[in-house]
Amino acid sequence: MKTLLLGAVTAALLHITPTVVLVKREQAVARLLPGADEFAARELHLSSADSKRLHDAVGWEPPDGVVTFYLGKKQDRVTGVLQFMRVDCQHGPIELAIGYDPRGTIRAVEVTKATVEMKPWIVEALRAGLLNEYRGMAVGGEPAGATKVKPQIGAMPAYMAELIDKGVMHANAAYRLFYR
Amino acid sequence: MLYDLRHSDLRLRWLVTLLLATLGASYLFGAWMVGLYAGFTPRKVAETYGPAGETPMMMQMPPETTVVTEHSISMHDMGEEQHHVDLDLLVQDTHVHMPMYAVIAACLSLIALGLAIPRGASMSIIVLLFAAPWLDFAGMWLTKLVAPGFAIVTLAGGWAMALGYTVVAVLALWQMWFPRTGDTSQ
Repeated sequence: MKTLLLGAVTAALLHITPTVVLVKREQAVARLLPGADEFAARELHLSSADSKRLHDAVGWEPPDGVVTFYLGKKQDRVTGVLQFMRVDCQHGPIELAIGYDPRGTIRAVEVTKATVEMKPWIVEALRAGLLNEYRGMAVGGEPAGATKVKPQIGAMPAYMAELIDKGVMHANAAYRLFYR
Repeated sequence: MLYDLRHSDLRLRWLVTLLLATLGASYLFGAWMVGLYAGFTPRKVAETYGPAGETPMMMQMPPETTVVTEHSISMHDMGEEQHHVDLDLLVQDTHVHMPMYAVIAACLSLIALGLAIPRGASMSIIVLLFAAPWLDFAGMWLTKLVAPGFAIVTLAGGWAMALGYTVVAVLALWQMWFPRTGDTSQ
C-alpha cells in the first residue's frame, strides 16, 4: 500500500501541467503584424551546414529542422515578419511570438502559451515590464530582459524571464542568419 | 468476495462513493479533453497519433542545401496548430499516465473485490479495468509505429475504461445504498 501511495504521489508530482493560452495566436498576429492583409509562410528546411551555423551561434537548432517565418504583407509589400518559438523546460513548454518590423528590429514579443504551473510566474515577469525590454531591439543584440526585471521579481519568474530571453535569442539568430 | 461493501462501515461506503464521484468527474473531463484534442473517431485518433501529422520522413534527413518554400496563408492558418502527438510526447504521455491509470484501476479493483458478485465476474471486471489502459496506450503506439488503422484499439481502450468504471460504479452504489431487505446490518 505504501508503494502504491508513493507511486501515486510521484506520478502526480511528475505530471507536466496542461497548456494554457495566454494570448491567442490570432491576437498575437494582429499585434505583431499590424496592418497586414495578406500573409505568407516561408519555410526553410535547413541543411546540416545551416543547422550547425545556427547551433554554433546560439546553441540551438529546430528539432524538426524547419524554421518558419510568417510574413505580413500589404499591397505586396512586406510590413513585418513573425516567428513562433517554443522553449522547453522541466515545467513544460513556453511559446513565444516574436515580431519584426521591416527594418529588422523587434517590433514586440508576446508570450502565447505556457503551462498552468508556469502561468503565474510568467505573468509576474510580464507585469515587471519584461516584454518592453525587447521592443526596438536589433537582431544582433543579446536579449537581457531577465537581467532588467530580476530585482523586482521572485526566483521562478526570473527563471521564466531567462527562458523568454533564450527564445528571443533563438528567434533573432534564425532571423539574422536565414531571413535577411 | 474479500469484504462486503453492503455490510461495510458507513465511513467506508462514503469513501467509496466519493472516490467514484471524483473519478467519474475526472473521466467526464477526460472525455471532454479527448474531444478537444484527439476526437472520438478512428480517423481523428489516427491523425493525432499517426505519422500523417508529422514532418514527412524524407524531410527527416536534412537536405544538401537549405530548401526554402513560400506559400500564401490566411490568418486562420496561423492560429492554433492541429494537436499532434509526436514520438517524444507519446513517450512522455505514456510515462506520466500509465502509473496513474494503474492506481485508478487498482482502486476500482479494490471496490470490485467488495461487490456481491460471482468470483468469475469479479475477475473479469479486474481484467477489464487493467486491460483498458493497456489497450489505450497499445493503440497509440501501434498507430504511431505500425499503421493508422490501430487507432481503433485506442478507441476500444477508451470505451473499455468507461465501461469498467460504469460497471463498478453502478454495482457499488446500488449495493451500498440500495440493499435488498435484510441485506444490510445497519
